[in-house]
Amino acid sequence: MNAWLDVPRGWLDSFGEIGRFGVQVAGQVYSGRVFKFFGESLRQAGILIFGSALIIWAFVFILGLQCGLQGAYFNRSIGAPSLAGLFSAYCDLREGLPYAFGYILSAKVGTGIVAELGAMRISDEIDALEVMGIQPITFLCATRLLGAWIAIPFLYLVGIVLIYAASYLSVVNQVGDVSSGGYLLIFWMYQSPPDLVFSLIKGMVMATVIVLVGCYYGYTASGGPVGVGTATAKSMVFNIVAVHIIGMLGTVVFWGANPRAPIGG
Amino acid sequence: MMMILTVRTLISAVRSPYPYGEELVWQFLFVLKLSWFPLLISTFALNLGAPGLQAAGILSLFGALDRLGGFFVVIAIRWIGPLVTAVVVAGVAGTAITADLGARKIREELDALQVLGVDPVKNLVVPRFLALMFVTALLDIFAIVMGLSAGIVAELLYHQPLGGFFATLFSNATITDLWSSVLMCTMFGAIVAVVCSYKGMSASGGAAGVGRAVNQAVVIALMAVFFFQFVVSSVILATNPELQAVR
Repeated sequence: MNAWLDVPRGWLDSFGEIGRFGVQVAGQVYSGRVFKFFGESLRQAGILIFGSALIIWAFVFILGLQCGLQGAYFNRSIGAPSLAGLFSAYCDLREGLPYAFGYILSAKVGTGIVAELGAMRISDEIDALEVMGIQPITFLCATRLLGAWIAIPFLYLVGIVLIYAASYLSVVNQVGDVSSGGYLLIFWMYQSPPDLVFSLIKGMVMATVIVLVGCYYGYTASGGPVGVGTATAKSMVFNIVAVHIIGMLGTVVFWGANPRAPIGG
Repeated sequence: MMMILTVRTLISAVRSPYPYGEELVWQFLFVLKLSWFPLLISTFALNLGAPGLQAAGILSLFGALDRLGGFFVVIAIRWIGPLVTAVVVAGVAGTAITADLGARKIREELDALQVLGVDPVKNLVVPRFLALMFVTALLDIFAIVMGLSAGIVAELLYHQPLGGFFATLFSNATITDLWSSVLMCTMFGAIVAVVCSYKGMSASGGAAGVGRAVNQAVVIALMAVFFFQFVVSSVILATNPELQAVR
Protein backbone atom coordinates (compact mmCIF):
# COMPACT_ATOMS: atom_id res chain seq x y z
CA MET A 1 0.00 0.00 0.00
CA ASN A 2 2.83 2.37 0.83
CA ALA A 3 4.23 2.40 -2.70
CA TRP A 4 1.01 4.08 -3.83
CA LEU A 5 1.78 7.07 -1.63
CA ASP A 6 5.45 7.48 -2.55
CA VAL A 7 4.93 10.39 -4.92
CA PRO A 8 2.96 12.68 -2.58
CA ARG A 9 5.24 11.77 0.32
CA GLY A 10 8.30 12.63 -1.75
CA TRP A 11 6.83 16.03 -2.51
CA LEU A 12 6.13 16.70 1.14
CA ASP A 13 9.74 15.81 1.88
CA SER A 14 11.26 18.05 -0.78
CA PHE A 15 8.73 20.90 -0.85
CA GLY A 16 10.35 22.85 1.99
CA GLU A 17 13.82 22.36 0.57
CA ILE A 18 12.75 23.50 -2.89
CA GLY A 19 11.13 26.55 -1.32
CA ARG A 20 14.23 27.44 0.67
CA PHE A 21 16.46 26.89 -2.36
CA GLY A 22 14.17 29.01 -4.53
CA VAL A 23 14.15 31.87 -2.04
CA GLN A 24 17.93 31.71 -1.86
CA VAL A 25 18.32 31.89 -5.65
CA ALA A 26 15.75 34.66 -6.02
CA GLY A 27 17.52 36.52 -3.20
CA GLN A 28 20.77 36.38 -5.17
CA VAL A 29 18.97 38.00 -8.10
CA TYR A 30 17.15 40.63 -6.08
CA SER A 31 20.19 41.64 -4.01
CA GLY A 32 22.01 42.35 -7.28
CA ARG A 33 24.81 39.89 -6.57
CA VAL A 34 24.01 38.16 -9.85
CA PHE A 35 25.03 41.25 -11.81
CA LYS A 36 28.65 40.33 -11.19
CA PHE A 37 27.92 37.60 -13.75
CA PHE A 38 25.67 39.63 -16.02
CA GLY A 39 27.47 38.37 -19.12
CA GLU A 40 26.69 34.81 -18.12
CA SER A 41 23.03 35.74 -17.61
CA LEU A 42 22.86 37.18 -21.10
CA ARG A 43 24.50 34.03 -22.42
CA GLN A 44 21.85 31.91 -20.66
CA ALA A 45 19.10 34.10 -22.14
CA GLY A 46 20.67 33.60 -25.56
CA ILE A 47 20.81 29.83 -25.09
CA LEU A 48 17.15 29.88 -24.08
CA ILE A 49 16.16 31.83 -27.18
CA PHE A 50 18.25 29.96 -29.72
CA GLY A 51 17.72 26.53 -28.18
CA SER A 52 14.07 26.55 -27.21
CA ALA A 53 12.20 29.36 -28.97
CA LEU A 54 11.23 27.43 -32.10
CA ILE A 55 10.00 24.42 -30.15
CA ILE A 56 8.01 26.63 -27.77
CA TRP A 57 6.38 28.47 -30.64
CA ALA A 58 5.58 25.29 -32.60
CA PHE A 59 3.93 23.83 -29.52
CA VAL A 60 1.93 26.99 -28.88
CA PHE A 61 0.84 27.03 -32.53
CA ILE A 62 -0.52 23.48 -32.35
CA LEU A 63 -2.46 24.30 -29.19
CA GLY A 64 -3.93 27.33 -30.95
CA LEU A 65 -5.15 25.14 -33.80
CA GLN A 66 -6.74 22.80 -31.27
CA CYS A 67 -8.38 25.72 -29.40
CA GLY A 68 -9.97 27.00 -32.57
CA LEU A 69 -11.11 23.56 -33.70
CA GLN A 70 -12.80 22.57 -30.44
CA GLY A 71 -14.32 26.03 -30.08
CA ALA A 72 -15.73 26.03 -33.58
CA TYR A 73 -17.39 22.63 -33.14
CA PHE A 74 -18.67 23.45 -29.65
CA ASN A 75 -20.27 26.63 -30.88
CA ARG A 76 -21.84 24.73 -33.75
CA SER A 77 -23.35 22.27 -31.28
CA ILE A 78 -25.01 25.03 -29.26
CA GLY A 79 -26.29 26.67 -32.42
CA ALA A 80 -24.12 29.78 -32.25
CA PRO A 81 -21.27 29.17 -34.71
CA SER A 82 -20.66 32.87 -35.16
CA LEU A 83 -19.54 33.14 -31.53
CA ALA A 84 -16.49 30.91 -32.04
CA GLY A 85 -14.33 33.98 -31.42
CA LEU A 86 -15.48 34.10 -27.80
CA PHE A 87 -14.19 30.60 -27.13
CA SER A 88 -10.92 31.27 -28.95
CA ALA A 89 -10.30 34.53 -27.12
CA TYR A 90 -10.72 32.89 -23.73
CA CYS A 91 -8.95 29.70 -24.67
CA ASP A 92 -5.96 31.35 -26.35
CA LEU A 93 -5.10 34.21 -24.09
CA ARG A 94 -6.35 33.24 -20.66
CA GLU A 95 -5.79 29.50 -20.43
CA GLY A 96 -4.25 27.84 -23.44
CA LEU A 97 -1.13 29.91 -23.79
CA PRO A 98 -0.02 29.76 -20.13
CA TYR A 99 -0.56 26.00 -20.04
CA ALA A 100 1.16 25.33 -23.36
CA PHE A 101 4.00 27.54 -22.23
CA GLY A 102 4.23 25.76 -18.88
CA TYR A 103 4.22 22.28 -20.43
CA ILE A 104 6.86 22.95 -23.01
CA LEU A 105 9.04 25.00 -20.67
CA SER A 106 9.05 22.24 -18.09
CA ALA A 107 9.77 19.67 -20.79
CA LYS A 108 12.45 21.58 -22.68
CA VAL A 109 13.96 24.12 -20.28
CA GLY A 110 13.31 22.55 -16.88
CA THR A 111 14.62 19.09 -17.68
CA GLY A 112 17.42 20.63 -19.75
CA ILE A 113 18.65 22.55 -16.71
CA VAL A 114 18.50 19.41 -14.55
CA ALA A 115 20.47 17.42 -17.10
CA GLU A 116 23.10 20.13 -17.43
CA LEU A 117 23.55 20.98 -13.74
CA GLY A 118 23.26 17.33 -12.71
CA ALA A 119 26.10 16.39 -15.03
CA MET A 120 28.16 19.23 -13.54
CA ARG A 121 27.37 18.07 -10.02
CA ILE A 122 28.34 14.43 -10.48
CA SER A 123 31.53 15.26 -12.35
CA ASP A 124 32.44 17.52 -9.37
CA GLU A 125 32.50 20.68 -11.46
CA ILE A 126 30.30 22.49 -8.94
CA ASP A 127 32.77 21.70 -6.16
CA ALA A 128 35.54 22.97 -8.41
CA LEU A 129 33.69 26.26 -8.81
CA GLU A 130 33.47 26.57 -5.04
CA VAL A 131 37.18 25.93 -4.70
CA MET A 132 37.87 28.66 -7.24
CA GLY A 133 36.01 31.10 -5.01
CA ILE A 134 32.94 31.47 -7.20
CA GLN A 135 29.57 31.03 -5.50
CA PRO A 136 28.10 28.17 -7.56
CA ILE A 137 24.52 29.01 -6.61
CA THR A 138 24.93 32.53 -7.96
CA PHE A 139 26.93 31.58 -11.02
CA LEU A 140 24.78 28.61 -12.08
CA CYS A 141 21.26 29.10 -10.74
CA ALA A 142 20.76 32.85 -10.29
CA THR A 143 22.15 33.60 -13.77
CA ARG A 144 19.72 31.12 -15.29
CA LEU A 145 16.81 32.69 -13.43
CA LEU A 146 17.80 36.18 -14.56
CA GLY A 147 18.31 34.93 -18.11
CA ALA A 148 14.83 33.40 -18.10
CA TRP A 149 13.34 36.65 -16.80
CA ILE A 150 15.07 38.56 -19.60
CA ALA A 151 14.09 36.26 -22.44
CA ILE A 152 10.73 34.74 -21.56
CA PRO A 153 8.42 37.81 -21.73
CA PHE A 154 9.42 38.28 -25.36
CA LEU A 155 9.00 34.61 -26.20
CA TYR A 156 5.57 34.81 -24.57
CA LEU A 157 4.46 37.84 -26.56
CA VAL A 158 5.52 36.25 -29.85
CA GLY A 159 3.67 33.13 -28.70
CA ILE A 160 0.49 35.20 -28.38
CA VAL A 161 0.78 36.28 -32.02
CA LEU A 162 1.25 32.68 -33.12
CA ILE A 163 -1.59 31.23 -31.04
CA TYR A 164 -3.97 33.91 -32.39
CA ALA A 165 -2.93 33.16 -35.95
CA ALA A 166 -3.40 29.43 -35.38
CA SER A 167 -6.91 29.83 -33.96
CA TYR A 168 -7.85 32.09 -36.85
CA LEU A 169 -6.62 29.49 -39.32
CA SER A 170 -8.54 26.63 -37.79
CA VAL A 171 -11.82 28.51 -37.15
CA VAL A 172 -12.06 30.53 -40.35
CA ASN A 173 -10.12 28.43 -42.84
CA GLN A 174 -10.48 24.87 -41.58
CA VAL A 175 -14.03 24.72 -40.17
CA GLY A 176 -15.34 27.81 -41.92
CA ASP A 177 -18.68 28.40 -40.14
CA VAL A 178 -17.96 32.08 -39.58
CA SER A 179 -16.58 34.79 -41.81
CA SER A 180 -13.26 36.40 -41.12
CA GLY A 181 -14.80 39.71 -40.08
CA GLY A 182 -17.40 38.14 -37.82
CA TYR A 183 -14.77 36.05 -36.10
CA LEU A 184 -12.37 38.93 -35.54
CA LEU A 185 -15.11 41.24 -34.23
CA ILE A 186 -16.10 38.86 -31.45
CA PHE A 187 -12.51 37.77 -30.89
CA TRP A 188 -11.16 41.26 -30.20
CA MET A 189 -14.26 42.35 -28.30
CA TYR A 190 -13.78 39.67 -25.65
CA GLN A 191 -10.28 40.63 -24.58
CA SER A 192 -8.64 43.67 -23.13
CA PRO A 193 -5.11 44.80 -22.24
CA PRO A 194 -5.42 43.79 -18.57
CA ASP A 195 -6.15 40.24 -19.72
CA LEU A 196 -2.84 40.25 -21.57
CA VAL A 197 -1.01 41.43 -18.46
CA PHE A 198 -2.70 38.81 -16.26
CA SER A 199 -1.87 36.09 -18.75
CA LEU A 200 1.75 37.23 -18.89
CA ILE A 201 1.94 37.20 -15.08
CA LYS A 202 0.65 33.63 -15.07
CA GLY A 203 3.23 32.57 -17.64
CA MET A 204 6.07 34.31 -15.82
CA VAL A 205 5.20 32.72 -12.47
CA MET A 206 5.18 29.31 -14.15
CA ALA A 207 8.52 30.00 -15.82
CA THR A 208 10.09 31.12 -12.54
CA VAL A 209 8.91 28.03 -10.69
CA ILE A 210 10.07 25.75 -13.52
CA VAL A 211 13.57 27.24 -13.61
CA LEU A 212 13.90 27.10 -9.83
CA VAL A 213 12.70 23.49 -9.61
CA GLY A 214 15.05 22.53 -12.45
CA CYS A 215 17.97 24.22 -10.68
CA TYR A 216 17.12 22.50 -7.40
CA TYR A 217 16.97 18.98 -8.82
CA GLY A 218 20.09 19.52 -10.92
CA TYR A 219 22.06 21.15 -8.10
CA THR A 220 21.26 18.35 -5.66
CA ALA A 221 21.63 15.43 -8.09
CA SER A 222 23.64 12.47 -6.84
CA GLY A 223 24.30 8.85 -7.66
CA GLY A 224 26.14 8.85 -10.94
CA PRO A 225 24.67 8.92 -14.47
CA VAL A 226 21.59 7.04 -13.27
CA GLY A 227 21.01 9.69 -10.62
CA VAL A 228 20.95 12.45 -13.23
CA GLY A 229 18.28 10.61 -15.22
CA THR A 230 16.19 10.01 -12.10
CA ALA A 231 16.49 13.65 -11.01
CA THR A 232 15.41 14.79 -14.48
CA ALA A 233 12.36 12.55 -14.34
CA LYS A 234 11.45 13.77 -10.84
CA SER A 235 11.70 17.44 -11.82
CA MET A 236 9.28 16.83 -14.70
CA VAL A 237 6.69 15.30 -12.35
CA PHE A 238 6.94 18.18 -9.93
CA ASN A 239 6.78 20.79 -12.70
CA ILE A 240 3.69 19.32 -14.39
CA VAL A 241 1.69 19.50 -11.17
CA ALA A 242 3.07 22.93 -10.27
CA VAL A 243 2.03 24.28 -13.68
CA HIS A 244 -1.55 23.07 -13.23
CA ILE A 245 -1.85 24.45 -9.72
CA ILE A 246 -0.43 27.85 -10.71
CA GLY A 247 -2.78 27.94 -13.68
CA MET A 248 -5.80 27.27 -11.51
CA LEU A 249 -4.80 29.77 -8.82
CA GLY A 250 -4.12 32.40 -11.48
CA THR A 251 -7.57 31.91 -12.95
CA VAL A 252 -9.20 32.15 -9.55
CA VAL A 253 -7.26 35.29 -8.61
CA PHE A 254 -7.53 37.18 -11.90
CA TRP A 255 -10.85 36.10 -13.37
CA GLY A 256 -12.62 34.22 -10.56
CA ALA A 257 -14.73 37.09 -9.25
CA ASN A 258 -15.07 39.04 -12.49
CA PRO A 259 -15.17 37.33 -15.88
CA ARG A 260 -14.16 40.63 -17.55
CA ALA A 261 -16.58 40.26 -20.45
CA PRO A 262 -18.07 43.26 -22.32
CA ILE A 263 -21.65 42.16 -21.59
CA GLY A 264 -24.07 42.07 -18.70
CA GLY A 265 -24.61 44.58 -15.91
CA MET B 1 14.33 5.05 -36.54
CA MET B 2 11.35 5.44 -34.23
CA MET B 3 9.12 3.97 -36.92
CA ILE B 4 11.43 0.96 -37.15
CA LEU B 5 11.21 0.55 -33.39
CA THR B 6 7.41 0.84 -33.56
CA VAL B 7 7.16 -1.86 -36.20
CA ARG B 8 9.60 -4.13 -34.40
CA THR B 9 7.68 -3.64 -31.16
CA LEU B 10 4.36 -4.46 -32.79
CA ILE B 11 5.75 -7.55 -34.49
CA SER B 12 7.44 -8.93 -31.41
CA ALA B 13 4.35 -8.19 -29.31
CA VAL B 14 2.19 -10.58 -31.32
CA ARG B 15 4.73 -13.23 -32.32
CA SER B 16 5.28 -16.10 -29.89
CA PRO B 17 6.92 -16.75 -27.44
CA TYR B 18 5.47 -14.32 -24.92
CA PRO B 19 8.05 -13.95 -22.15
CA TYR B 20 6.91 -10.53 -21.03
CA GLY B 21 3.78 -11.27 -18.98
CA GLU B 22 5.27 -10.72 -15.54
CA GLU B 23 7.17 -7.60 -16.61
CA LEU B 24 3.97 -6.25 -18.16
CA VAL B 25 2.05 -6.53 -14.89
CA TRP B 26 4.96 -5.02 -12.98
CA GLN B 27 5.27 -2.05 -15.35
CA PHE B 28 1.51 -1.51 -15.31
CA LEU B 29 1.44 -1.27 -11.54
CA PHE B 30 4.62 0.85 -11.52
CA VAL B 31 3.16 3.43 -13.90
CA LEU B 32 -0.16 3.45 -12.10
CA LYS B 33 1.48 3.95 -8.71
CA LEU B 34 3.59 6.78 -10.04
CA SER B 35 0.94 8.64 -12.03
CA TRP B 36 -2.34 8.43 -10.14
CA PHE B 37 -1.67 11.26 -7.73
CA PRO B 38 -0.18 13.82 -10.19
CA LEU B 39 -3.00 13.01 -12.58
CA LEU B 40 -5.64 13.52 -9.91
CA ILE B 41 -4.32 16.96 -8.95
CA SER B 42 -3.61 18.01 -12.55
CA THR B 43 -6.97 17.17 -14.07
CA PHE B 44 -8.89 18.60 -11.17
CA ALA B 45 -6.94 21.87 -11.17
CA LEU B 46 -7.03 22.28 -14.93
CA ASN B 47 -10.73 21.52 -15.26
CA LEU B 48 -11.68 23.71 -12.35
CA GLY B 49 -9.67 26.66 -13.63
CA ALA B 50 -9.90 26.64 -17.38
CA PRO B 51 -13.34 25.37 -18.40
CA GLY B 52 -14.91 25.48 -14.95
CA LEU B 53 -14.49 29.01 -13.66
CA GLN B 54 -13.86 30.79 -16.97
CA ALA B 55 -16.89 29.27 -18.67
CA ALA B 56 -19.07 29.54 -15.60
CA GLY B 57 -18.17 33.22 -15.37
CA ILE B 58 -19.27 33.98 -18.90
CA LEU B 59 -22.31 31.65 -18.77
CA SER B 60 -23.53 33.29 -15.57
CA LEU B 61 -23.61 36.62 -17.46
CA PHE B 62 -25.84 34.96 -20.04
CA GLY B 63 -27.87 33.33 -17.24
CA ALA B 64 -27.22 29.93 -18.78
CA LEU B 65 -25.14 28.13 -16.17
CA ASP B 66 -26.87 24.84 -16.92
CA ARG B 67 -25.03 24.83 -20.28
CA LEU B 68 -21.80 24.12 -18.41
CA GLY B 69 -22.58 20.41 -18.62
CA GLY B 70 -22.59 20.45 -22.41
CA PHE B 71 -19.41 22.47 -22.36
CA PHE B 72 -17.71 19.88 -20.18
CA VAL B 73 -18.46 17.18 -22.74
CA VAL B 74 -16.34 19.11 -25.20
CA ILE B 75 -13.59 20.03 -22.78
CA ALA B 76 -13.27 17.23 -20.28
CA ILE B 77 -14.07 14.26 -22.52
CA ARG B 78 -12.95 15.23 -26.01
CA TRP B 79 -9.96 17.38 -25.22
CA ILE B 80 -8.48 17.73 -21.76
CA GLY B 81 -9.04 14.18 -20.54
CA PRO B 82 -6.80 12.49 -23.12
CA LEU B 83 -4.44 15.45 -23.33
CA VAL B 84 -3.65 15.78 -19.64
CA THR B 85 -3.44 12.03 -19.25
CA ALA B 86 -0.84 11.96 -22.02
CA VAL B 87 1.08 14.91 -20.59
CA VAL B 88 1.15 13.41 -17.10
CA VAL B 89 2.04 9.93 -18.34
CA ALA B 90 4.78 11.34 -20.57
CA GLY B 91 6.10 13.50 -17.73
CA VAL B 92 5.88 10.84 -15.04
CA ALA B 93 6.14 7.41 -16.61
CA GLY B 94 7.83 8.32 -19.89
CA THR B 95 10.69 10.11 -18.15
CA ALA B 96 11.06 7.18 -15.74
CA ILE B 97 11.22 4.73 -18.66
CA THR B 98 13.85 6.79 -20.47
CA ALA B 99 15.92 7.20 -17.31
CA ASP B 100 15.70 3.46 -16.60
CA LEU B 101 16.54 2.26 -20.13
CA GLY B 102 19.17 4.98 -20.54
CA ALA B 103 20.91 3.89 -17.35
CA ARG B 104 20.91 0.29 -18.59
CA LYS B 105 22.33 1.40 -21.92
CA ILE B 106 25.10 3.44 -20.28
CA ARG B 107 26.06 0.53 -18.01
CA GLU B 108 26.08 -1.70 -21.11
CA GLU B 109 23.40 -3.97 -19.69
CA LEU B 110 21.49 -3.88 -22.97
CA ASP B 111 24.53 -5.12 -24.87
CA ALA B 112 24.98 -7.84 -22.27
CA LEU B 113 21.37 -8.93 -22.77
CA GLN B 114 21.92 -9.15 -26.49
CA VAL B 115 25.03 -11.26 -25.99
CA LEU B 116 23.00 -13.59 -23.79
CA GLY B 117 20.54 -14.01 -26.65
CA VAL B 118 17.73 -12.03 -24.97
CA ASP B 119 15.98 -9.61 -27.31
CA PRO B 120 15.79 -6.19 -25.59
CA VAL B 121 12.85 -5.11 -27.72
CA LYS B 122 10.75 -8.11 -26.79
CA ASN B 123 11.73 -8.21 -23.14
CA LEU B 124 12.01 -4.53 -22.29
CA VAL B 125 10.15 -2.40 -24.84
CA VAL B 126 7.10 -4.55 -25.51
CA PRO B 127 5.96 -4.79 -21.87
CA ARG B 128 6.37 -1.03 -21.42
CA PHE B 129 4.54 -0.36 -24.68
CA LEU B 130 1.57 -2.55 -23.76
CA ALA B 131 1.53 -1.39 -20.14
CA LEU B 132 1.47 2.26 -21.14
CA MET B 133 -1.38 1.65 -23.59
CA PHE B 134 -3.47 -0.06 -20.91
CA VAL B 135 -2.61 2.52 -18.27
CA THR B 136 -3.48 5.53 -20.43
CA ALA B 137 -6.85 3.99 -21.33
CA LEU B 138 -7.57 3.45 -17.65
CA LEU B 139 -6.28 6.83 -16.53
CA ASP B 140 -8.31 8.56 -19.25
CA ILE B 141 -11.53 7.35 -17.60
CA PHE B 142 -10.11 8.50 -14.28
CA ALA B 143 -9.28 11.92 -15.78
CA ILE B 144 -12.78 12.29 -17.21
CA VAL B 145 -14.33 11.49 -13.83
CA MET B 146 -12.07 14.00 -12.07
CA GLY B 147 -12.75 16.59 -14.76
CA LEU B 148 -16.50 16.25 -14.41
CA SER B 149 -16.26 16.49 -10.63
CA ALA B 150 -14.28 19.72 -11.09
CA GLY B 151 -17.19 20.92 -13.25
CA ILE B 152 -19.60 20.04 -10.44
CA VAL B 153 -17.46 22.01 -7.99
CA ALA B 154 -17.48 25.02 -10.34
CA GLU B 155 -21.26 24.77 -10.60
CA LEU B 156 -21.59 24.62 -6.82
CA LEU B 157 -19.29 27.65 -6.41
CA TYR B 158 -21.84 29.59 -8.43
CA HIS B 159 -24.67 28.26 -6.17
CA GLN B 160 -26.46 26.45 -8.96
CA PRO B 161 -28.57 23.30 -8.66
CA LEU B 162 -26.84 20.39 -10.35
CA GLY B 163 -29.88 19.18 -12.32
CA GLY B 164 -29.19 21.47 -15.27
CA PHE B 165 -25.54 20.47 -15.37
CA PHE B 166 -26.32 16.78 -15.56
CA ALA B 167 -29.19 17.29 -18.02
CA THR B 168 -27.03 19.08 -20.59
CA LEU B 169 -24.10 16.78 -19.84
CA PHE B 170 -26.05 13.64 -20.66
CA SER B 171 -27.93 15.09 -23.61
CA ASN B 172 -24.69 16.29 -25.24
CA ALA B 173 -22.50 13.29 -24.48
CA THR B 174 -22.45 10.52 -27.04
CA ILE B 175 -20.87 7.09 -27.11
CA THR B 176 -18.61 8.33 -29.91
CA ASP B 177 -17.16 10.92 -27.54
CA LEU B 178 -16.24 8.28 -24.99
CA TRP B 179 -14.73 5.66 -27.26
CA SER B 180 -12.84 8.18 -29.33
CA SER B 181 -11.44 9.69 -26.15
CA VAL B 182 -10.27 6.34 -24.82
CA LEU B 183 -8.92 5.21 -28.19
CA MET B 184 -7.06 8.47 -28.69
CA CYS B 185 -5.54 8.16 -25.25
CA THR B 186 -4.42 4.58 -25.93
CA MET B 187 -2.62 5.85 -29.01
CA PHE B 188 -0.97 8.57 -26.91
CA GLY B 189 0.30 5.86 -24.58
CA ALA B 190 1.80 4.01 -27.53
CA ILE B 191 3.48 7.18 -28.82
CA VAL B 192 4.93 8.05 -25.43
CA ALA B 193 6.19 4.49 -24.90
CA VAL B 194 7.91 4.26 -28.28
CA VAL B 195 9.51 7.71 -28.11
CA CYS B 196 10.74 7.28 -24.55
CA SER B 197 12.02 3.73 -25.09
CA TYR B 198 13.83 4.76 -28.24
CA LYS B 199 15.50 7.73 -26.61
CA GLY B 200 16.47 5.63 -23.59
CA MET B 201 17.92 2.82 -25.71
CA SER B 202 19.96 5.23 -27.82
CA ALA B 203 21.36 7.26 -24.90
CA SER B 204 25.07 7.87 -25.10
CA GLY B 205 27.74 10.14 -23.75
CA GLY B 206 28.14 9.22 -20.11
CA ALA B 207 26.70 11.19 -17.25
CA ALA B 208 25.16 14.02 -19.22
CA GLY B 209 23.75 11.58 -21.78
CA VAL B 210 20.94 10.09 -19.72
CA GLY B 211 19.71 13.48 -18.61
CA ARG B 212 19.82 14.77 -22.17
CA ALA B 213 17.97 11.68 -23.40
CA VAL B 214 15.16 12.30 -20.88
CA ASN B 215 15.00 15.94 -21.96
CA GLN B 216 14.70 15.10 -25.67
CA ALA B 217 12.31 12.23 -25.07
CA VAL B 218 9.78 14.28 -23.17
CA VAL B 219 9.91 17.16 -25.67
CA ILE B 220 9.41 14.86 -28.67
CA ALA B 221 6.67 12.92 -26.88
CA LEU B 222 4.72 16.08 -26.01
CA MET B 223 5.04 17.52 -29.52
CA ALA B 224 3.95 14.23 -31.08
CA VAL B 225 0.99 13.89 -28.74
CA PHE B 226 -0.25 17.45 -29.34
CA PHE B 227 0.08 17.17 -33.10
CA PHE B 228 -1.52 13.72 -33.19
CA GLN B 229 -4.45 14.93 -31.11
CA PHE B 230 -5.07 17.82 -33.46
CA VAL B 231 -5.16 15.51 -36.47
CA VAL B 232 -7.30 12.85 -34.80
CA SER B 233 -9.84 15.25 -33.33
CA SER B 234 -10.13 17.09 -36.66
CA VAL B 235 -10.97 13.78 -38.34
CA ILE B 236 -13.36 12.57 -35.66
CA LEU B 237 -15.24 15.85 -35.37
CA ALA B 238 -15.54 16.23 -39.13
CA THR B 239 -16.64 12.67 -39.86
CA ASN B 240 -19.21 12.22 -37.09
CA PRO B 241 -22.12 14.58 -37.69
CA GLU B 242 -23.91 13.46 -34.52
CA LEU B 243 -21.20 15.26 -32.52
CA GLN B 244 -22.24 18.60 -34.00
CA ALA B 245 -26.03 18.28 -33.79
CA VAL B 246 -27.71 21.12 -31.93
CA ARG B 247 -29.13 19.88 -28.64
